[in-house]
Amino acid sequence: MDQKRQKLKKKNMQVINDLNLKKQARDLGVKVWQTPGFMFIMLGVIAIVIMSAVFLISQNYDDPEILVLAESFVVIVILIVGNSVISMVTQVTKLNRMKSEFVSVASHQLRTPLSAIKWETELLLSKCRRRVVGDKQRQSIENINTLSIKMTHLINDLLDVARIDQHRLIIKKIPTDIIAVAKDSIKEAQSLAKKRHIELALSAPRKLPAVLADPEKLQMVVENLLNNSIKYTTNHGKIELKLTKKDALIIFNIKDSGVGIPAEQQNRIFDKFFRSDNIVKYQTEGTGLGLYIAKNIIEQMGGRIWFESVENLGSIFSFSIPISKQKE
Amino acid sequence: MTKILIVEDELTLNKALEEFLVEEKFEVFSAFDGEDGIKMAKEKSPDLILLDIILPKKDGFEVLDYLKLDKKTQKIPVVLLTNLESAEDIEKAFNKGATTYLVKANYRLEDIVKKIKETLKCA
Repeated sequence: MDQKRQKLKKKNMQVINDLNLKKQARDLGVKVWQTPGFMFIMLGVIAIVIMSAVFLISQNYDDPEILVLAESFVVIVILIVGNSVISMVTQVTKLNRMKSEFVSVASHQLRTPLSAIKWETELLLSKCRRRVVGDKQRQSIENINTLSIKMTHLINDLLDVARIDQHRLIIKKIPTDIIAVAKDSIKEAQSLAKKRHIELALSAPRKLPAVLADPEKLQMVVENLLNNSIKYTTNHGKIELKLTKKDALIIFNIKDSGVGIPAEQQNRIFDKFFRSDNIVKYQTEGTGLGLYIAKNIIEQMGGRIWFESVENLGSIFSFSIPISKQKE
Repeated sequence: MTKILIVEDELTLNKALEEFLVEEKFEVFSAFDGEDGIKMAKEKSPDLILLDIILPKKDGFEVLDYLKLDKKTQKIPVVLLTNLESAEDIEKAFNKGATTYLVKANYRLEDIVKKIKETLKCA
């Protein structure tokens, strides 16, 4: 029932978004009067006005030539406006195709040298572990490795955003052990948390039913939320992760005592490239894509993501995922 | 010793994979284009093939077609190792008989070895 309500809500939001010309203009990178939505509305208004005028003319004039002239005028106007709409839609389609080609080129051409850097540094680090190498050299190699991983994540985020925009993000739906995902994410985040003297704690039942999710993407979401909490929590804080079962859903919470989000900016937190002002001052690094991607991933898996936050006190980010009905 | 054939045109990537796999006690053969990949698969009868998609002469999909048609090579598990990640490429790869599809940028060398061992266990 909860899922049906969520689906209906999503459909209603879609309709509202489609009628939201400002949002359409922002998404397409054009002026409001250039959006397909505006053009369709104008076409409708013009058609109604002209039809009304033709009706009034036909009431006052019997002459068939005047009627033909009036109706020809209507057709011409509709053709002109219709042509403008078609041009706009064609332009948008061309831009989408260019985006798609960029995604395809970028995914290969940018990632190939990055993969080479990553693997070469892994080989060097592996050799470092076996021989005596100066601390400075080892640190330099680790820095190169860390930075190449960061670049890979940035490219992956940009590619994911492009795929989301084109409705081409692939999300598998298979039975997934969310406790294992949470534990792996904590393991990955431990070194960053240790550097900042932040304690990570997981509270979960011994066993939970599997969720229907894409394990890799789900881990990406958990790691994103966890890394945000760590980055925006001052040293010596505590971050608590919690997993609970509620009806046919598993609920994941992550609570921190970080900088929080200003109330007046909370409605934009899941927008593409958005970073709240207090975050930008606190930490200049970041693209503002993580939560946008996380929201899309969770929603495509049939879940929901939300948060509570108070500036200077901290935040609790939560998401729900449906339990898998399949046998593992 | 388990035999792995690497079909990868980027020299740095090919050599990095080869070095790591040799350290992990695999016997490794390398090919740098699709045609050479098919030839080495027939000659060396590897236990598993790591196959890139964008290759000179014959691309990874064409190589897969040849491998799956030839009785000598059709049962060899093929792990696609590429930086292409579109839904169409992934679907095409599995339709042509690939066993696993890995995006290079997302995998460390040790993770690739884990996937190789998993694939060989299931084969």
